[in-house]
Amino acid sequence: MICSQCGERPASVLVKQKRNGQLIERHLCHVCAAENHSLNLAFEQDPLAIHQLLSNWFPTQSPSVNPFKKEVSVCPSCGFTFNDSLKLGKFGCATCYDAFESNLEEIFKRLHNGNTEHTGKIPASYGSTLKLKKEIEELRKQLKVSIEAEEFEEAVKLRDQVRELNKELERGATHGD
Amino acid sequence: MAIDRFLVPKASSWMANNGENADIAMSTRIRLARNLREFKFPYAFTEDEALKVDKAVSSVLVDKGKDLSLEFTHIDIHEISQLQRELLVEKHLISPHLAAGMHSGSVLLSKNEELSIMINEEDHLRIQSLQSGFHLQEAYQTADQLDSMLEQSLQYAFHEKFGYLTSCPTNTGTGMRASVMLHLPALTMSQQITRIIPAISRLGMVVRGIYGEGSEALGNVYQISNQLTLGKSEYEILQDLQNMTEQIIEQERRAREAILTNSPLKLEDRIYRSLGTLTYSRLLTTEEAAKCLSDVRLGIDLKLIENIDMSILNELMIFMQPAFLQLYSEKPLSANERDVTRAKLFRERLKQEYKINGDKEGEDSV
Ligand SMILES: [Zn+2]
Ligand SMILES: [Zn+2]
Repeated sequence: MICSQCGERPASVLVKQKRNGQLIERHLCHVCAAENHSLNLAFEQDPLAIHQLLSNWFPTQSPSVNPFKKEVSVCPSCGFTFNDSLKLGKFGCATCYDAFESNLEEIFKRLHNGNTEHTGKIPASYGSTLKLKKEIEELRKQLKVSIEAEEFEEAVKLRDQVRELNKELERGATHGD
Repeated sequence: MAIDRFLVPKASSWMANNGENADIAMSTRIRLARNLREFKFPYAFTEDEALKVDKAVSSVLVDKGKDLSLEFTHIDIHEISQLQRELLVEKHLISPHLAAGMHSGSVLLSKNEELSIMINEEDHLRIQSLQSGFHLQEAYQTADQLDSMLEQSLQYAFHEKFGYLTSCPTNTGTGMRASVMLHLPALTMSQQITRIIPAISRLGMVVRGIYGEGSEALGNVYQISNQLTLGKSEYEILQDLQNMTEQIIEQERRAREAILTNSPLKLEDRIYRSLGTLTYSRLLTTEEAAKCLSDVRLGIDLKLIENIDMSILNELMIFMQPAFLQLYSEKPLSANERDVTRAKLFRERLKQEYKINGDKEGEDSV
């Protein structure tokens, strides 16, 4: 077989590529195969092929092992069903995240080593309230630890800090964000 | 700013070589994925929405970029030729996904090509910051600064629990992919790399060679990047990647010393043969060029070769690709013609090096 890209050298590699959701198989020579790969190195989208990852634990053929709730959720904003999202491995819009929320924990756990919550940067416009909430949450955790360790002086300090931040949160809420 | 300056086969500043560990770490890249709240994401949006997103983002970048003393050039993906798109892909300024041009999209490039913002790739925005060498913090700061500037004018899709919302759940959270390109010839020669790759993937990071799974990396160049975007802050992700990369660099140094101690003559022979191939050959395939480049670069690092600048690997790995070669010779080339042109390009580039840095053998015989 002759390479389907250059039409010159004999094909030695079978290259499988996903394009627009379709699997395309091409027989390429080693030269063209190398060139195709070097092009894509910097931009490979998914560190782990999500299609593969998702299909591993969601085999469409056997619904008995489907870990997801049986409901047929449809995103009211973009019209994607949960199944559409799963098949494509992508979301259609921001509202999808709310529409499919009950199933997302499971997906994120698999994809992000058990993590389901963002702890990084927050846009300034969401910032003040959300930052306070996260700070309070963090302090509560510390408070619990110090009580368990019977460090009561520290615990009192933390409790006061939580109260202070809660007051701030209420003030912020009445003033709007 | 003229669009043309980005579409010529010339080096970008991130292909230079500088800083600590730049002998092994070739370049650093940070990518932030962002979407606008009021528009459907690219897998679901209409052409009309695509245009609106492009307009909204471009105008903010062009207007507000000045506040950060950044001047952006807007390149509409449908207004440049296929070959020019490929060139931008080869220069790592746009992705193959954007180059496919499925809907209205564009890229905004900063003058020095260190910042590129793709509009309507898989997400509405893909902010990319490129740096030469090993500079994770600097690259992140540049991207972060631009991101913070943009969010003052654009309403991002952000979720209290899930963070930045993206098309693909592998990017949800920080939306950040940080990566470092590493030249690891000694770890490859000693086959230690095959142990390192699976070990790293258990720690939430990925190492990939050009052939995807890392067994046969083209030019012994590997990319290490974070896999997780949820549950860790940007700072933690960068710190983990920094530590892991430093460890790999350290192992590569040790492997180099071991080879140099155990079989110096064999190594020297291999390096000089490769230099000979690049200096004199008339037909050069991508694979052979990459292999020889890697050897020569190693020779430079080990001070066996002193009259060639070390940026040669970074630069020629980019230049030897098809679109580059075709723009360089100003005509379409078949695969065989590309091998001829590639050989010519390498000969000329090395001749230039010998002229600058002096070489008795090379000068008149090349
Ligand atoms: Zn071919
Ligand atoms: Zn949706």
